Amino acid sequence: MGESNENIQFSWGKKRAKGGAKMDTQFYGSFTFDNVKYSLYDCVYLFKNGESEPYIGKIVKIWQQNEAKKVKILWFFTPDEIRNYLRGSVAENEIFLASGDGTGLADINPLESIAGKCTVVCISKDERNRQPTPKEQTVADYIFYRFFDVGNCTLSEQVPEKIAGLEVNVLLNPKDEQVICYPDQDAQGMDQKVGAGLVAPLPQSAAKMEDEIPVAPLPQSAAKMEDEIPVAAVPLSQSVAISLPPSVKEVDKAQVAAVPLPLGVEEDVPKPTQKVFKRTQSTQKVLSDKMPSKKLKLSQDLTMKNMPSKKLKLSQDLTTQSMAPVPDVKVRSVPLAQLPTRQADRSKWFKPQPWHEKLAQADKEGRLVYIQNLDIRFGASEIVELIREALQLSCTAKPINHPTYDDPNNGKAYVVFNSRNIADEAVMKINSGLVVGGRPLYCSKGLLKVPKPASGALVGHLTISNQKMNPRQREEQKKAVSTSHCSQPNTIEYDLALDWMLVREKQAMKFSILHKRHAGERKSFAAKMAQ
Amino acid sequence: MATPDEHADAEGLMGEHAEKEHADFKARVKRTIYIDHLSPVVSRQVIRAALSQCANVVSVEFIENYTIPYDIPAAALVELDDESQAKSAVDLMRDFPFIIGGMPRPVRASLARPEMFADRPSLPGSKMEFLWLKQGDPEYDGMSKLKSLAKRQEAENMALIKSILEEEKELAAQQQIMLDANYYKYDLLESIVQNGTIKNLAGHYRVNLFDS
Repeated sequence: MGESNENIQFSWGKKRAKGGAKMDTQFYGSFTFDNVKYSLYDCVYLFKNGESEPYIGKIVKIWQQNEAKKVKILWFFTPDEIRNYLRGSVAENEIFLASGDGTGLADINPLESIAGKCTVVCISKDERNRQPTPKEQTVADYIFYRFFDVGNCTLSEQVPEKIAGLEVNVLLNPKDEQVICYPDQDAQGMDQKVGAGLVAPLPQSAAKMEDEIPVAPLPQSAAKMEDEIPVAAVPLSQSVAISLPPSVKEVDKAQVAAVPLPLGVEEDVPKPTQKVFKRTQSTQKVLSDKMPSKKLKLSQDLTMKNMPSKKLKLSQDLTTQSMAPVPDVKVRSVPLAQLPTRQADRSKWFKPQPWHEKLAQADKEGRLVYIQNLDIRFGASEIVELIREALQLSCTAKPINHPTYDDPNNGKAYVVFNSRNIADEAVMKINSGLVVGGRPLYCSKGLLKVPKPASGALVGHLTISNQKMNPRQREEQKKAVSTSHCSQPNTIEYDLALDWMLVREKQAMKFSILHKRHAGERKSFAAKMAQ
Repeated sequence: MATPDEHADAEGLMGEHAEKEHADFKARVKRTIYIDHLSPVVSRQVIRAALSQCANVVSVEFIENYTIPYDIPAAALVELDDESQAKSAVDLMRDFPFIIGGMPRPVRASLARPEMFADRPSLPGSKMEFLWLKQGDPEYDGMSKLKSLAKRQEAENMALIKSILEEEKELAAQQQIMLDANYYKYDLLESIVQNGTIKNLAGHYRVNLFDS
């Protein structure tokens, strides 16, 4: 039974009982949401609108009534939340399970408000609690061993018999070790049964397993198997998420934090209750995109179990580790809409640079060569070919003569080579005596110094100072830049304009005479040499 | 190994492609005009609007200055719909001072030439002739001298550019003075008409203000 909810993947897992007054409520033991499998008693994140820190809770009931999918969440408290009642030392990633009766124990939320899964390990020494392996402890997102009674507002290490009507067993560590270990150890950690199901696409095998399980309360082992399969077979992101909790935690937070919260607050019950909003697709997707960064993190100190306290110290840590993709997440604190553009962003990585950037870059690296005395008719491709044939080197080239001012007898071009050494070598060779079509080329390294393009008015565009104009006229004059016209003979401007045209004609003549002379000189020289 | 026929075919194909590219390019050159003495604050839209009276602008490519170490006016290659539009635009701007985005210095337009286009394709069928010379070769000295000649010519060109730019600055300064003076004169005239002083003056000189 799969449904799509705002295009986020969803499908029910194992069915349990039916209930409700009109028998219209179906209870479930698991579901898959946005390609992540959640089961009863899994620990999850939920976001509250406007807050950057998520709340952590345990799913204790899953059902659908009519069209609505709901989950009942038993809350964990962070040290901050119960600061006033805290005594003793607190570990960095310690949280506290709610117990007792009263508001703040548990809430019903729409299923869609779940933002992600997390690993919480119970380190209580109570006999009912399976002691976690050191590995489990290290990789867990959070640990807890104390309970906060919401009725009395007291903190206690004593494990209560029941919480929220459930036997406390199911709320402590699952009987079988969770496969929260590195991928290569998956095989060892697993049950025979599970192993079989591993390779197969999990829904089927999972379903098979689940059928063998008595309905309620789910023995922990069964619950475990369900989890293990997904862990192994689920998309990359998820398994990595579990096997590298520290990094995931960071990254998760990153997305989780960056993901903005459009939401739907359902209950209006105080404190832990308003914790809902739609999770966006970006969380999961971004997760998989973050793969490289996670591997990176992995190689770093794993005792980073000192998860930065849930302040967004996250962002600092991320930047200090200079994981290139990750800082982006901070910036991208805009939801869903951003997602599609991730692809677009990638394409920018391969877009060709604009020329002036290319040249600046090449110059910095010493790969830029300025060649002169080329035939002005040579295009970029001809120059590239020339370099290839004469020097056996590859390059990119750009002819750069300015049509108004540069002497057409002397063609100029920038050529960019692949490395500084190659460029130096080329310069030496060309200067030593490369003659192309009767023209000896000469060259040098580096960009020519040209003034930055002027941003002010052109020389010759006059303004009247001390002009008495009313505001409207001033506005119009400002707009005048975007206008154009043919000057009419009855204005002062016309005379001035004519002055310019005269000057320009003279200039054109001067250039033409000079360039012709140059051409003549070259020809006669060449002729003389031929004799 | 490809047979000679195949080779020839391949080359023929490539040659054809190059020919076509070149033909396209030539057509493009014919319908493009080169505008310079352009103000740096003028944008594509402005040029488009300016030329709209006589031509439809297809594209505008501003020329970037890589080689001149002075402050020079902007320039652009403006591609129009066809050759006739290009001709009429050039004629217009030659016969009348065409002013874009600031007065009174008009822009200049001319028909584009192939070497103005930085992205020009290679000439089909052209052979690259080159040779290496080293000291001791008979022509080496001659080529060195030719190199020096080229360098000297470059310097001369730069000097010319410098002098005309200065000339332009002077002209602009002169014109500014003249403009200010004229403005002052007209402003003065207007104010005395407005505030009535002119009546007094007329009375004083016994001149009739209005022909009656």
